[in-house]
Amino acid sequence: MDERHSMISVENVKYTYDGAETQALRGVSFDIERGEFVAIVGRNGSGKSTVAKLLNALLIPEEGTVRIDGMDTIDEERTLDIRKKVGVVFQNPDNQIVTTVVEEDVGFGPENLGIPTEQIIRRVHDALEAVDMLSYAKSAPHMLSGGQKQRIAIAGMLAIEPEVLVLDEATAMLDPLGRKKIIDIVNELHSKRGITVIMITQYMEEAVDADRIIVMNDGLIDFTGSPREVFAQGDRLRGIGLDVPVIVGIRDELIAKGLIAPCDVLKAEELAELLCPLLLKN
Amino acid sequence: MLNDITLGQYLPGNSAVHRLDPRTKILLMIAYIVAIFLVEKMPAFIIIAAFILAVTLTARIPLNYLLKALKPLRFILPLMFLFNLLLVRKGNLLVDWWIIKIYDEGIKNAFFIVLRLSTLVVGTSLLTLTTTPIALTDGLEKLMAPLKLIKFPVHELAMMMTIALRFIPTLIEEADKIQKAQLARGADFESGNVIKRAKAMLPVLIPLIVNSFRHAGELAMAMESRCYHGGEGRTRMRVLKLQWGDLAAALITGALIAAILLSQRFLF
Amino acid sequence: MPIVVEKLSYTYMQNTANAHTALDDISFTVGDSEFIGLIGHTGSGKSTLIQQLNGLMQPTSGRVLVDGYDMNDKKQRAKGRALIGMAFQYPDYQLFDSTVFADVSFGPRNMKLDEAEVKRLAAEALELVGLDPAEMMEKSPFELSGGQKRRAALAGIIAMRPKYLVLDEPMAGLDPGGRRDVLELIARLRAELGCAVIMVSHSMDDIARSAERIIVLNNGRIRMIGTPEQVFADTAELTEIGLDVPKPMQLAAMLKQRGAAVPDGLYTEESFIEWLGRAVKHA
Repeated sequence: MDERHSMISVENVKYTYDGAETQALRGVSFDIERGEFVAIVGRNGSGKSTVAKLLNALLIPEEGTVRIDGMDTIDEERTLDIRKKVGVVFQNPDNQIVTTVVEEDVGFGPENLGIPTEQIIRRVHDALEAVDMLSYAKSAPHMLSGGQKQRIAIAGMLAIEPEVLVLDEATAMLDPLGRKKIIDIVNELHSKRGITVIMITQYMEEAVDADRIIVMNDGLIDFTGSPREVFAQGDRLRGIGLDVPVIVGIRDELIAKGLIAPCDVLKAEELAELLCPLLLKN
Repeated sequence: MLNDITLGQYLPGNSAVHRLDPRTKILLMIAYIVAIFLVEKMPAFIIIAAFILAVTLTARIPLNYLLKALKPLRFILPLMFLFNLLLVRKGNLLVDWWIIKIYDEGIKNAFFIVLRLSTLVVGTSLLTLTTTPIALTDGLEKLMAPLKLIKFPVHELAMMMTIALRFIPTLIEEADKIQKAQLARGADFESGNVIKRAKAMLPVLIPLIVNSFRHAGELAMAMESRCYHGGEGRTRMRVLKLQWGDLAAALITGALIAAILLSQRFLF
Repeated sequence: MPIVVEKLSYTYMQNTANAHTALDDISFTVGDSEFIGLIGHTGSGKSTLIQQLNGLMQPTSGRVLVDGYDMNDKKQRAKGRALIGMAFQYPDYQLFDSTVFADVSFGPRNMKLDEAEVKRLAAEALELVGLDPAEMMEKSPFELSGGQKRRAALAGIIAMRPKYLVLDEPMAGLDPGGRRDVLELIARLRAELGCAVIMVSHSMDDIARSAERIIVLNNGRIRMIGTPEQVFADTAELTEIGLDVPKPMQLAAMLKQRGAAVPDGLYTEESFIEWLGRAVKHA
């Protein structure tokens, strides 16, 4: 049988943490196709980080199924195969770096997989190159900035050569420059290497370029859609502790004041294009 | 800002000594310690000193680092010297004044103990000055590999050491931040008696420990997601390989021991 | 009386090969109940500077006077420090006691006030940040959510009734709703307690919205200082040192590029929209 399956398929998943009174996830379903760039947004505690851990078989659903390229995460025989396919970069850069030399840390994943030494060296080199950190190969991680550490964490994942990269609020603790660099790297990995990207974030600006946004609230998916569709619902987003990007906020105000016709522009350039004719009428 | 923390006391370099396999260095260190205990006659310490000097120069380590290595012993050494000088009651009595009695054996013992301890500490510091802690861990893991046969958790131990080394700077930095946060709330770490001061440390220790647990939990998760599943089937990125330099170093250390034994027999 | 920073310089690891100048000849004042935004990217010297303000670090040269107390002097430092409340970036570095209420009482208790007064200040501080004092007598700080922890940590600072509130990225890691709440909370605290606020933030839009004066640090020096209008007038300079510009100003710059006549100083959403409304009517 030649059944085509999604890269990621999450079906009616429920999850409760040990000792917690309420469910972190109360029945979540979504599919993600190969090569997609999906953003998951939601306030603190909405369940979005739980999703990240389920995709990597770090957590196993108490109800429902998570399938990665057809493999059910409940099947312990496939755990390593799943983790080879899905790499997760977590929020705190300090808690992902295991060893005291950058290149060795990047090699940690391939070492665990029993990859031959020459291949590890090549993979580490390529991964460090992809995140623009080759010149830091011999550095001690604690001498690096938060943004640089996070690039090392991404390189550590790339060295495993995953097909899916999950960023679990990977930019939350970084300054704007560090954040921008991470976003650029991820965009490049997506467009040039075709890596499937799942960006879990609280910064609405980071979701603007996604193919699709999944909005979570209180352990459930509140709604999903393209960035244009999702950011058309400012009030709904604010109602669940989120917001629209600043430019969209300005756009909505202008629409409300009747200065421009309803539209779905998301970026400053687009809005500027739209406003110019109004200002240069005569 | 604690970016300047050097772990252990490693002094980065690329000398012949730095490049030696850590296993070689650990084993030769043991041989060196044996050599020190083989010294029975004072002049043989000249050979040890020459060895230390030669290694230090080859490793291009500034000589004052050797003195720094002795700094922690600055109270113990004089004390040991005095004890031996005053308490050894053997040989010819040289000084007998009031309650002080000094024998020639006592003088000899006093010098011996000081020389032995200093050469021991200075020599071993050469190991840590020229070897990164992580290379030391690697070397120990490899050397202890046969213990796996008796189910001794060699890999786990090495991994624990690696993680400890990795997190020491992080935790020091965190302790500093926490201390400052509490100082800003008027905490007083300096006045009062010992008990009061120990109690004053609680507002620093509790967040530090709570944070450490979080580090541990998150790190374990990150390691798992990077396919870590124990030492079984693991390969290494850095493979330790014995080279000609290691053989040379072994021969030189062998020569040291031979020189000490022979010189004591025929020269001194 | 204000905070006066005079020719402050600070060098890490002075007289060693690794010496690194973190602050170089910094001078400014903070007036009573003023709101100052401190911006600069990582490594610009912001953290070092705020630690100098309450004497957690002492300068290599120059000095800080807090209401006249010289922070270089060990005896005066304690008095100066009592006037400055300092909230660090992550509440996890501060919360330690068995209950939130006890934790918030830590500061006032260190001020050697009597127990009734300590309780009163702690309860008031908790109310101010929107946490229920009675509930917080039973709750451990480690049971709180991220946003609540931040509130509890802030309560621990304002319970000491500081005249100056120094906040190091108080919104870091919070979701948009949480950011809005904390920003509103800061404005309310300032209104009710009349304290001055010195806020470090990476968000230009937040700074543009709340600060009366902005200090831009770069490589340990003050690169710009002035009202938001003055600082944001020069977007090129901000961009040059790698800082963002508030979004409305980015938009204004794009309109200018396309030939529209846009005035300077449209750094908040409100001012931009208001101007646009007028401009469109006249066009």
